[in-house]
Amino acid sequence: MNLTYSPIEGKSRGYRIMVAILGVMVAVLVASYLVAYLEGFQVWGISNAVPWGQLITLDIYFIGLSAGAIVVSGLSYVLRREEYKPIGRIAVLMGLLIFTGAMVCVLVDLGRPEKFWRLFMYGYLNNMTSMFVLNSIWYGGYILLMLVYLWLVMENKTRLAMIIGTIDVLWAIGVHSFTGAIFGLIGTREILASPIKPFEFIAVALTSGTALLTLVVVAAFKFSNRNIDKKVILSLGRLLSFIIIVLLVMVFFDKLTHIYFPDREGVIFLFTGPYWWLFWCFQVGMGIIIPLIILFHPRAGRSIKGIIIASVSVVIGVLGERAALVIPGTAQVQQLYPGNIEGVWGTAGAFPITLWETTLTLGIVALVVLLFVLSLKYLPLLPVSESSEASEVSEASEAAKNTVPASGG
Amino acid sequence: MVIDLDKCVGCQGCTIACKEENNIPYGSPQEQRQRRELYWNRVIAVSDGEYPTVRIEFISMPCMHCEDAPCVIVCPAKATYHRDDGIVIQDFRRCIGCRYCIVACPYGVRSFNFKDQQEEEYHCPDLPPDRVSRGPWPFPQRVRGVVEKCTFCFHRIDQGLQEGKRIGIDVVPACVEACPTKARTFGDLDDPDSEVSHLLATRGSFRLKEELSTHPKVYYLHG
Repeated sequence: MNLTYSPIEGKSRGYRIMVAILGVMVAVLVASYLVAYLEGFQVWGISNAVPWGQLITLDIYFIGLSAGAIVVSGLSYVLRREEYKPIGRIAVLMGLLIFTGAMVCVLVDLGRPEKFWRLFMYGYLNNMTSMFVLNSIWYGGYILLMLVYLWLVMENKTRLAMIIGTIDVLWAIGVHSFTGAIFGLIGTREILASPIKPFEFIAVALTSGTALLTLVVVAAFKFSNRNIDKKVILSLGRLLSFIIIVLLVMVFFDKLTHIYFPDREGVIFLFTGPYWWLFWCFQVGMGIIIPLIILFHPRAGRSIKGIIIASVSVVIGVLGERAALVIPGTAQVQQLYPGNIEGVWGTAGAFPITLWETTLTLGIVALVVLLFVLSLKYLPLLPVSESSEASEVSEASEAAKNTVPASGG
Repeated sequence: MVIDLDKCVGCQGCTIACKEENNIPYGSPQEQRQRRELYWNRVIAVSDGEYPTVRIEFISMPCMHCEDAPCVIVCPAKATYHRDDGIVIQDFRRCIGCRYCIVACPYGVRSFNFKDQQEEEYHCPDLPPDRVSRGPWPFPQRVRGVVEKCTFCFHRIDQGLQEGKRIGIDVVPACVEACPTKARTFGDLDDPDSEVSHLLATRGSFRLKEELSTHPKVYYLHG
């Protein structure tokens, strides 16, 4: 299958309005970071009880999406499955841009961001036993690999792309399992600690990455009046349903392990504590059960619409899953001495949603979407299909493209 | 450090003495509720049972200075490390403010500095008389965006060693000095003749969360 790729025109009013809105949101990002930098992190919801908040949630969410997108891109460039070729370039670009967003999240979350270079002074000024330092190796290499990978697939160097793609797919799995290790290896936090966490993270990355890729592909093809083979979306849907089952098994045994042994306060806090809804409604409901019902429904599971709804549900549910890890994971009161700790020290940590943290988070999402839509305009990412050449830049379709950030972010 | 729970009355004298000594800002009641106030030492009250058969225990908690400290393992910037004498120190100049150590600490003794602290609050007009002789504070000014914790008043220990004083007798951390019931004792755990070793040998003791194998160097005497 020989495909020619072309950038979108991007001259319509809808496109310009969208870029303008995203630009404003990025400006809000800068402003809200300045507020946090000048005022200190007191303007955020974090505290000594819940030291990691929205930004770390978004960070691991993005890393997962990125790793998932890169792994799915491997279907086209590593396994050479021809039917996935039209979405290959988009998947690699998504991986790169979303990961850039994740790195922005980490950087702005540091109390002293000007000292971030310490993470990269291997063995000399940093501590090689820290998961953050090991991850700086994984993350740095991952960005370089993705840049090379993107360049190779843009240049159609299929052989080299296969080699680099293979390394990148394996590297992406490493990236996300080590991201899981940041949490899973903290033995003192009952909700976080789990040897299965790295594997769970890989499964979560694949579900959210596949789901978001499905949405972005459907939106980008539809609103630039291109056609995509229905089979591609259906097979992405089957892939999604398979990984969700793997994820379900992992989550089930992780929680079962923690609840089976009498030392089960952590799981009980997660199930019935103040953040029960993050776990039950988002992680289990929207992330696992609803998409599984849709995908295994005899009719809905074989329709594009059904797969889109399932994907939206997964993309939202996984964001909640990340929050259900970061926030209750640290909010749970640590048992120091037999009995109830009185007063503020014995109260579960609260995490209020605050203005500046939320605008910062939304701003980073907008930054990623902005980079994505600009890339669509300046890089040949979408394949030209025979039927679309004539009507590529119709006004209506471009205006409708406004929905890309809504579904894609 | 050895803390005798039978003597502790929960007066929070150690908390205040620590704040005075190490120049730790006081937070507003709201910040205290939000868990954003800086504490290097705190006293928690633990209740067990229902009225009328209820028991309350006051546990005074400095940093445990664990032998196998989870914070030291996870700190990416070597900002938290063991000194040769075993004290776990936090270097503000190295700390990048990632707060991983707060997540990893089993005792919750670490605090993040959430804002620029007001300077005038520290210029207390009535400094303790020995402040002049002890030289400048180790922390004259707070750095925002880093994690802070108890240092066992290493500045006192270092200066005491320089002057040839006996650690644990002539020189003790501020919380030990301030304790009105003499519930706290400080000294060298490796020295079999020190008072802490003597107390541990003659009384029953425990450490917090011993099952985690962090080997805290703060012991509690009980019963």
